[in-house]
Amino acid sequence: MSLLEIKNLHAKVGEKEIIKDFSLTINAGEVHAIMGPNGSGKSTLSNIIAGHPAYTVTSGSIIFKGKDVLSMTPDERANSGIFLLFQYPTEIPGVSTAVFLKTALNAKYQFLKKEPLDAVGFMKRLNTRAKALNVSAEMLKRPVNVGFSGGEKKKMEVFQMAFLEPDFCILDEMDSGLDIDALRLLSAGVNVLREPNRSFLLITHYQRLLEYIEPDFIHIMVDGKIVESGDKSLALKLEEKGYECYK
Amino acid sequence: MSAINNLALMGFDGELSVRSLNEPVSISVPAGCSFEAHLLQFDGTIDLSVSLMGADAKCAVQAVYLAADETHSVLNLNIVHNAPKTFSEQKIKGVLTDRAHMDFKGIIRIPTESQKCEGAQNHRALLLSDKALVRATPELEIFADDVKCAHGSAIAALDEKQLFYLMSRGIDETQAYHLLVQAFIMDLTPEMWMPYIEQWMAEHV
Ligand SMILES: Nc1ncnc2c1ncn2[C@@H]1O[C@H](COP(=O)(O)OP(=O)(O)OP(=O)(O)O)[C@@H](O)[C@H]1O
Ligand SMILES: [Mg+2]
Repeated sequence: MSLLEIKNLHAKVGEKEIIKDFSLTINAGEVHAIMGPNGSGKSTLSNIIAGHPAYTVTSGSIIFKGKDVLSMTPDERANSGIFLLFQYPTEIPGVSTAVFLKTALNAKYQFLKKEPLDAVGFMKRLNTRAKALNVSAEMLKRPVNVGFSGGEKKKMEVFQMAFLEPDFCILDEMDSGLDIDALRLLSAGVNVLREPNRSFLLITHYQRLLEYIEPDFIHIMVDGKIVESGDKSLALKLEEKGYECYK
Repeated sequence: MSAINNLALMGFDGELSVRSLNEPVSISVPAGCSFEAHLLQFDGTIDLSVSLMGADAKCAVQAVYLAADETHSVLNLNIVHNAPKTFSEQKIKGVLTDRAHMDFKGIIRIPTESQKCEGAQNHRALLLSDKALVRATPELEIFADDVKCAHGSAIAALDEKQLFYLMSRGIDETQAYHLLVQAFIMDLTPEMWMPYIEQWMAEHV
């Protein structure tokens, strides 16, 4: 059974249709990449999968682990294993990162009917993941995303992902705004999460990210749908020719 | 809601004690003294007047109101700078839900002879329901010319982006609201009042 199946999805914001007959199937363990021009609907698609209330799905379906995603609230989707790494993470003043992550993890364990981690177990998990990604204790004390640089925000997103251990990760432009060292560090952080039953959807504008995190498939998205799919070599072709031939 | 259980901690130069707010409260602050008040209002009327009587008298008021159901609450803060070189600061934050109404009136009065005074007032309210209503009326009666006075008031709904971000990490809507409401009022709430606030949130948010 596929992990995620999107079929003939149409969605709009207000009266404007943005996703136009989008279909994609992702199996467990696969890494897919979507590339596409600005405004083609990549972030919109990501947000719809995560359950953002601004978008209305007019037809089509999204099935995750055999369940209808579109009838779930955003928190149910997350607790079922969907994680969206945001292109622009939101700042939340007054809520410390540690408290936020503890609340999120407890919610997930409760959803899965598992015993919550005790304080020691939580700190251990937090510190292990933080260390691997060079996230300092001081960063964990700060309010969620507040005052972080663009690159640091992305790092915190990857850290949250590693901490929450989702089964399906959407990375919406993880690489934008990262310096070379950070790109290497975060890509390594993603690669260690690659497992036979965890899948990824990478959204990027740059072939370079795909050298660090090698995808199994690449899809070109233009004007709300996939216009071509292929293997890694598609990114190179794109680098050369751009999107002109798809328009 | 049954009995009104508004809370107040106030006193001079850091010596705070619990004080009843069932009657209007009037405080005189002598020269060189600092008066401080922390209020937590759930319902009813609170009237607090503070007169700053001599040079270097200071007053800091921090008030939080949490209004739910069909309550109609009134908060009157009245600060009078009766002497030159006196200082006041009011910080007020409120959270409203259901059909609650709030009337907040904050007066800063600086008569002509009270030069070199500073007064500040900042009010922010969070509306969790579109049926809730806040009326904020700052009254600045400033007659002296060599003074500094600042005031601001902002009334807003909960930030949808923040709500979605929390939920996208698995936190349900109710808990996300609790985190955001708590974050909003945290800086004006003494630690010992957190249980009252949590109880209010559990019942109304
Ligand atoms: N909430 C919204 N309100 C109005 N228009 C929106 C909204 N969200 C997306 N759009 C519009 O939908 C289109 C697709 O936007 P989206 O952010 O999905 O593009 P993208 O492919 O992620 O682009 P980029 O590569 O620049 O990140 C754009 O024209 C955008 O302006
Ligand atoms: Mg985008």
